[in-house]
Amino acid sequence: MEKVLLKNIDNPDSARIEAYEKSGGYSGLKKAFEMEPKAIIEEVKRSGLRGRGGAGFPTGMKWDFASRDPKFPKYLLCNADEGEPGTFKDRPLLEKRPHLLIEGMIISAYALKAEYGYIYLRGEYPHAKVVLEEAIKEAYERGYLGDNILGKGVKFHLSVHQGAGAYICGEETALIESIEGKRGQPRIKPPFPVNVGAWGMPTVVNNVETLSNIPYIIEIGGEAYSQIGNPECPGPKLFSISCCVEKPGVYELPMGTPLKEIIYEHAGGIKGGRQLKAVIPGGISTPVLTPDKIDCPMDFVNLPKVGSMLGSGAIMVFDDTVCMVKVCWRAIKFFEHESCGKCTPCREGTGWMRSILERIEGGFGREGDIELLQDVAMSIAGKTFCPLGDGAANVVLSFIRSFTEEFDYHIKNKKCITQ
Amino acid sequence: MIELTIDGKKIQARKGMTILDVARENNIYIPHLCWDRRLKPYGGCRLCLVEVEGQRKLMAACSTPADNGMVVHTDTPTLRKARKTVLELLLVHHPLDCPICDKAGECALQDLAYKYGPSEGRFYAERKHEPEATSALIDRNPNRCILCGRCVRVCWEHQGVGAINLIGRGFNTKISPAFEETLDCEFCGQCVDACPVGALGAKPYKYRARAWFLESHDSICPYCSVGCTLTLDLREGKILRVRGVDGKGVNQGDLCGKGRFGFDFIYGESRLKTPLVRKNGELKEVSWEEALYYVAERLKAVLKDYGPNSIGAIGSARASLEDNYMLQKFIREVIGTDNIDTSARLGYAWALKGMEETYGIKLNPIKLESPIGKEVVLVLESDLTSTHPIFGLKFLEAKNEGSHLMVVEPRRTKLARRSSEWLRIKPGTGTAYILGLINFAIKEGVHLKKEMEIEGLDELSNAVAEFTPEKVAELTGLDKERFIESARRFINAESRLIALTVGAAENQKGIETVKAAANLLMLLGEGPDALQVPADYSNTYGAWLMGLRPMNGGKDLYTMLYEPGALKALYVMGEDPLVTMPDAGRIEETFKRLELLIVQDIRLSETAKMADVVLPAASWAEKEGTFINAQGIPQPVPKVVSPTGDSIPDWQILRNIARVMEHDLGVIEFSALKEEIAKVAADSGQQRWRLVPVEYDLTEKPDNEYPIVMVTGNIMQHSGALSVMSKSLSHVLSDAFVQVSPEDAERFGVEDGGFIKIASRKGEVFIKARVSDEVPEGMLFVPVHFAHARVNMLTTASPEGRAHLTAVRIEPKG
Ligand SMILES: Cc1cc2nc3c(=O)[nH]c(=O)nc-3n(C[C@H](O)[C@H](O)[C@H](O)COP(=O)(O)O)c2cc1C
Ligand code: SF4
Ligand code: SF4
Ligand code: SF4
Ligand code: FES
Repeated sequence: MEKVLLKNIDNPDSARIEAYEKSGGYSGLKKAFEMEPKAIIEEVKRSGLRGRGGAGFPTGMKWDFASRDPKFPKYLLCNADEGEPGTFKDRPLLEKRPHLLIEGMIISAYALKAEYGYIYLRGEYPHAKVVLEEAIKEAYERGYLGDNILGKGVKFHLSVHQGAGAYICGEETALIESIEGKRGQPRIKPPFPVNVGAWGMPTVVNNVETLSNIPYIIEIGGEAYSQIGNPECPGPKLFSISCCVEKPGVYELPMGTPLKEIIYEHAGGIKGGRQLKAVIPGGISTPVLTPDKIDCPMDFVNLPKVGSMLGSGAIMVFDDTVCMVKVCWRAIKFFEHESCGKCTPCREGTGWMRSILERIEGGFGREGDIELLQDVAMSIAGKTFCPLGDGAANVVLSFIRSFTEEFDYHIKNKKCITQ
Repeated sequence: MIELTIDGKKIQARKGMTILDVARENNIYIPHLCWDRRLKPYGGCRLCLVEVEGQRKLMAACSTPADNGMVVHTDTPTLRKARKTVLELLLVHHPLDCPICDKAGECALQDLAYKYGPSEGRFYAERKHEPEATSALIDRNPNRCILCGRCVRVCWEHQGVGAINLIGRGFNTKISPAFEETLDCEFCGQCVDACPVGALGAKPYKYRARAWFLESHDSICPYCSVGCTLTLDLREGKILRVRGVDGKGVNQGDLCGKGRFGFDFIYGESRLKTPLVRKNGELKEVSWEEALYYVAERLKAVLKDYGPNSIGAIGSARASLEDNYMLQKFIREVIGTDNIDTSARLGYAWALKGMEETYGIKLNPIKLESPIGKEVVLVLESDLTSTHPIFGLKFLEAKNEGSHLMVVEPRRTKLARRSSEWLRIKPGTGTAYILGLINFAIKEGVHLKKEMEIEGLDELSNAVAEFTPEKVAELTGLDKERFIESARRFINAESRLIALTVGAAENQKGIETVKAAANLLMLLGEGPDALQVPADYSNTYGAWLMGLRPMNGGKDLYTMLYEPGALKALYVMGEDPLVTMPDAGRIEETFKRLELLIVQDIRLSETAKMADVVLPAASWAEKEGTFINAQGIPQPVPKVVSPTGDSIPDWQILRNIARVMEHDLGVIEFSALKEEIAKVAADSGQQRWRLVPVEYDLTEKPDNEYPIVMVTGNIMQHSGALSVMSKSLSHVLSDAFVQVSPEDAERFGVEDGGFIKIASRKGEVFIKARVSDEVPEGMLFVPVHFAHARVNMLTTASPEGRAHLTAVRIEPKG
């Protein structure tokens, strides 16, 4: 498949506006300005694009809600917080294709009648910050941003807001709080950001990759776009694959490409030819899969059928030398560290789970620990304020479900099955 | 209306209510820890989870809107288990130091843990060992904190302060002021009442009593005229603390620092225990008998030599109805004169006079809820959240609910900070601003919206013609366009309100201000309800109703205090004019020329120190009585502790003197007195609208020699003479100070914390300077109630109730 998102990625100047324009960049914008804002939203609806930030919410629908709200001003926020462990798919877009994102944002803003936009950038992406700011400057100079874009009377201003290193700030309402200068904690929904978002105004939050799909949708039309990959959730998709594979990296493939194909064909198979033991398909918050499930197509529709989720499309592959208890422990340590502290189950429960996992892993597990872990996880699952806590519970429950013997072995033999 | 089913019961509810709101309204119990009636839902504790049919997940009742057709279950095995585990999680790291926690016995966590059964203790974790953080009045124990966030939210959302927040994240989150500094805030203590556990505590109450040994009584706050209900907790006959109880009283449970912490003035060291009589120039302790005979004889002598008109009395805005009633009865019936008044003469009396001249009414009680729902709310040169804290909160609430809060004010007050629009005018020019609005309204033709007989439009038009936007801009220092914009907004609003205070402690507003505001409102078709001027103290309104004012041509307070020689004998009950009233030098002179000064008070006040005889009165909480608040609501104040020393209630002292003077007042018992008072009819006048021209003139203007304007007033922690007796309030602030702007500090070489000299045309005082951008250049702000600072040596009293700013000069002390 011809690359859309990672087009030209090997060109060392891919981030410069000249290179971008030369390869046809900003033509989608010009085309979009010939359309009515409503027509753009219709086109995006027709494309079937679903959000790439994790939840897979239909983008056209989200825009529709925001544009129907009569309040002004409206805001467009790009979620570039990319904090989910294993996820690094937005990074090449931010560092190598900033103008694709900017063009996508201008079109989106035009469709939404939003005059101000922010890119909420992960604190640990300092290079992306430099690149984005340079690109924004270029776009202003060329008249793609400002009070009167391309002389069409469209106004849109864009700037970068850098996060300070909190995973929770990737959650859209916490992101909004953070942009407002407040403590990064999620807000109650409803009201949803599309109605009451940044500074109380209608706000659209979209992922980097989601917004980067917009120029292409305008270019080829929603109908054509909807034929790419799985028609139920179409489009090109970036998969970041890491851990025990020969060629870790970011791959652009059609939505619905089987997991097996990604691991064995694109990423070069398991490192050192070892045996596959487990795959986390969509970032650390998604339930782990065993090797018998890897024929599953990677998309929003099929992964739930095998008990997991597409999430951010971050694939983490583990071979038979890896201890599952340790992976689980490390994951929970992450959640404990990132819990914002707002709600009881996540704040208190993640620490409790971490400490039980720690003792099992360290050879001090007790009988009944597995049941206790499950019980604590169950008292978090579905009871937290935001999905972060759910993610933590999912990890524990799915690891225990899939690798009970390994946990048992750890407790009984005070060491790992892999040793 | 919507209909939903909760626990099998069909229930009608209003749209916009949460499941918890509906449940509470229908007496269905759902446990909760982070929810607070006054605050936006938070959804943090997860204790209020309920099952909603058709929903995969459990829903938080406090933050889920009730919907038509919803079927909710609040008590199922699943929920009981979920709640039990939430509690188990909360207890995982909890120190469980209930045996030494002051909250034990009234702790929500303790109660809930008891209700949902014991936790199995399946987890042996490190307890937290953070050190306790202490401050002037509030202690914070981070280990007991369950991070419900109520304290943080009540402080920011409800109080408009934002002194504390959550810092850190996840398990390491804690409550703290910025940068973990020592808490230095308003000390309203609202966070203490909001805390469901023992993580926040009032320091004066620490380790004083177990909750179950406390005996509680409701009373009314002795400080301002809002008249909040205080719940007094006593042990062994001593008040140990004061709480607000959610939903109780006009305050609905809210309290300010004065109400919550200021009760201990009754235990102040300066309380009088016996009568004192001046002998050989010194006040000496004597028996009641001796004192009463002394008073009777001396009064009789003055009566004989100079007649009744040479005697006068000053009542108290903080004494009960009964005490004040008895004083006027004594003065009118026993002495036979109409020379009686209170501190209201320096403020509230003029506000009422202003209303009478304009609206024709003689009384205008405020309504606490009045700002809520108004499109525009204008607060005119008044620090309402300091003088009338709980009334002040309503202005924040109105803004939170969508009103446009316009604050016309030179000082960066809390309302200014939290306003929708802050018009920073020069001090004392609020009246000019209003006159400008009147002129603008007439010019724009937006007036007389309502059909109402109204006189005087032509005269008023002429009188305000000079207050063009240019002129107002010049006088107030506002930008002309901003003035016009604000005028348009105010005039074109669907509904509006003006609120201001006029009090003895304040010198920048007067009768003209009230009349100007009334004119403007009448012009826009608004009745007197749109003009909210609260009485100042707990019983200012009541004393007024009881006839504590000249009603038949008697001498008023101005004459009695500021015209030396007008009287030969003065009876002062529960008032300390030397401290709380302007122009202390003049008052002192008056006192010196008296033949007899009788002071009846709870403590040896500055005024008492000059008296010939001092009579010890029982204080608030030591006797039964009634206060009438600024809303005109009479509220009983019970006796809950025994009187200090030999003190007895004021009314009894007066009754006793009358007896000794062989005059039978006919009132022996409290109940008889109350019956008599019940017969006093309040005359509230007849509405008859008249526009009256208003003069605007700053009586004292700054000049080269006295280039700065000094504004006086009350502050958050102190007002009048009571609060300085409170140990707790004095912990927060015990020193007199003056606020100086950074610009003036630089110009006159003043250092923050250094002593400066303030000189006016009247005299000079030395006082500590606080450099603060709360005041603008060219303005000083001084709280007046610290006796030792004697700021009122510099100020002037006005016989016509006019604004009376003081022009001063400052310099660092030598
Ligand atoms: C704990 C948590 C972390 C999240 N982090 C990210 C993130 O780093 N980047 C992102 O795009 N979305 C993240 N999301 C999802 C956002 O809340 C939101 O759904 C998304 O930005 C919407 O964009 P989309 O519709 O384009 O997918 C996170 C959600 C949660 C609950
Ligand atoms: S689940 Fe609760 S504590 Fe955890 S991140 Fe979300 S809101 Fe914060
Ligand atoms: S005492 Fe009042 S101002 Fe101070 S932290 Fe508590 S709520 Fe805030
Ligand atoms: S101190 Fe009290 S009110 Fe504040 S968060 Fe902790 S438990 Fe809640
Ligand atoms: S009361 Fe609902 S979550 Fe705390």
